[in-house]
Amino acid sequence: MLDLFYAPLTETYFQKALIGGSIIAMVAGVVGCLVVLRRMAFLGDALSHAMIAGVAGGYLFMKLAFGLEAHAPGMLLGSLIAAVTTVALISFVSRISRVKEDTAIGIMYTGIFALGVVAVSIFRHYIHIDLMHFIMGDILGVADIDLWVSAFVGAGVLSVLILFFRHFQLATFDPVMAASIGLPVMLLDYLLTTCVSLVVVSAVSMVGVILVVGLLITPAATAYLLCDRLDKMMALSALFGVTSVVGGLYLCVWLDSAGGGAIMLFCTLQFLVVLFIAPKYGLLFRWIRLHNLVPQQAVEDVLTTVLRNKKPASVDIIRKYVDQGKNLDKVLKRMTQDGLLTQQNQDYALTDKGYKEAYTVLRAHRLWESYLESIGTPETEVHSIAHRLEHLDQAQTSAYLDEKLGSPKTDPHGKKIPAKTPKAL
Amino acid sequence: MIKETSFAIEVAHLTVSYNAKPALLDVNVKIEADQLVGVIGPNGAGKSTFIKAILGFVKPDLGTVKIQGTHVKNAKGRVAYVPQRGAVDWDFPITVREVALMGRFQKIPWYTSPRKKDRDAAMEALEMVRMTDFAHRQIGELSGGQQQRVFMARALAQGSDILLLDEPFAGVDAATERAILEVLERAKRSGKTLVVVHHDLSTAAEYFDKLLLIKQRLYAYGEPYMVLNEDLLSQVYEGKLKIFKDVLKKEGN
Repeated sequence: MLDLFYAPLTETYFQKALIGGSIIAMVAGVVGCLVVLRRMAFLGDALSHAMIAGVAGGYLFMKLAFGLEAHAPGMLLGSLIAAVTTVALISFVSRISRVKEDTAIGIMYTGIFALGVVAVSIFRHYIHIDLMHFIMGDILGVADIDLWVSAFVGAGVLSVLILFFRHFQLATFDPVMAASIGLPVMLLDYLLTTCVSLVVVSAVSMVGVILVVGLLITPAATAYLLCDRLDKMMALSALFGVTSVVGGLYLCVWLDSAGGGAIMLFCTLQFLVVLFIAPKYGLLFRWIRLHNLVPQQAVEDVLTTVLRNKKPASVDIIRKYVDQGKNLDKVLKRMTQDGLLTQQNQDYALTDKGYKEAYTVLRAHRLWESYLESIGTPETEVHSIAHRLEHLDQAQTSAYLDEKLGSPKTDPHGKKIPAKTPKAL
Repeated sequence: MIKETSFAIEVAHLTVSYNAKPALLDVNVKIEADQLVGVIGPNGAGKSTFIKAILGFVKPDLGTVKIQGTHVKNAKGRVAYVPQRGAVDWDFPITVREVALMGRFQKIPWYTSPRKKDRDAAMEALEMVRMTDFAHRQIGELSGGQQQRVFMARALAQGSDILLLDEPFAGVDAATERAILEVLERAKRSGKTLVVVHHDLSTAAEYFDKLLLIKQRLYAYGEPYMVLNEDLLSQVYEGKLKIFKDVLKKEGN
């Protein structure tokens, strides 16, 4: 059993994949938080596609100028230039024309991706780029040079983000204020886009063009479900990135599947699990909260019923006046838990707290009845309408009605309207 | 400049446009210090743009904005800003305390983290708007009025003499509106100038010392009784004036 985990670790290719993948996933996770919060996910996708033109351009340039075959730094620089060009074109188009940004992104990245594909096929005799490798990635074939590149990229991007954390936080949260205190908002935008490009470019060789955006946003989105602070979200997102790579690589070895695919599959499963069980923003807890919720109106109806009964009321009596069907048991249980009712034998009695609330509702009800009568509502309808209106914000409505009616003592049925503060039980 | 000007904000020939559509046209106004000024006008009249131009966030096509006699470009951080509620991402992973701390960012050098005195100042600002109990809450968990107060705390923590507020009274109940107004008046008494975008003409005269009526152009600036004048309002609000007839009556016009 243990061997299942240990055996792959002795293989060099697995070690390299683990180290390279973890570095990139960690940095992608941290940058991804800002990408998610700024709703830039589509831009990340665009950058990864656009860089193929840069890779081809970089390859061709290095080969023609220096006769170097598949020069990695040259291709990296080429892809960066392509990414920055794409971003510049996008902001140019969306700024000077009526075309909106998401459309501009769609136009520009497919255009530049197409340029790359055409270039690769025209110069297929000079440059040897396997498009499939580019699209799918090959994390198990990570070369030493890739490791170095990712280590430098990771260190650089991480330093920038830590150093300017506060600035990125403010510029993302409230760009208007950021500008008003003199932060260079545009410059920060470009800096962030450059960081995203760097991460995307170095991640493409591992997980491929299609999956790279997932590595950028899925761990960040997973952390988003668990955190209420940006710094914690970044730390957690980095952790989720690394666990995706580790889990995915084992999955890939055990199932003998594609590396990039296994990583993203694991990453997505991880997201789904968190989506389900996250304590505050998860589905399970939301479902439990909704399940435990009882209508305030039912609670108030139970309270007044018990109050009018003048002694502890049995479930049958309550059921007669409170139309809640099967729900009633849940309502009563909830109210006992909340300390509004106490159970005496088979009957329910009001607690102090319950008495006060019941009193407020009763006062509202009788004030409403008086008011409805004063505006000429037919006598037969007074009670049922007041019964519905009594649940409105009692503090405000009662005060208003009381003032308007000149603090009446009795309601139309001759019953006493309770004073504002209840007498003790 | 030899002598310090007594105007908090001076706007001259301000013209701003988005894609050839003018948002503001040749606006000229000088706002005195220590005033509570309401900016009124119909939807899409350029009220928010006016605020953003004073902040230096939108670049004017023409014209200048001066803050306490200094060109807005060189007056960064002298004007604090409370955004419109709709403009904030309430799901952002950030706590009340961190928002208040943002008010101190302009005083912290870029290479250091916030110090204790910054944290204290942030808490003090939260105290002023009675939000210390909520310091560790995520901002989306608050009610509308509480959210508004957090951003007021941020603006107060900035220590600026001029505060700009974009629709602070939108979507809050009457009691909260009172509470916010009280904070505004307290800020005014401590010598601040406040410019507030406001929607509700019926309360405008009661709340503000001066009103600024805007619809692309500046229609009027002055005491409420001068600005809430039937001719002006009918020009600016066109057919919708009927609603405001009783407002005018209340003002005794």
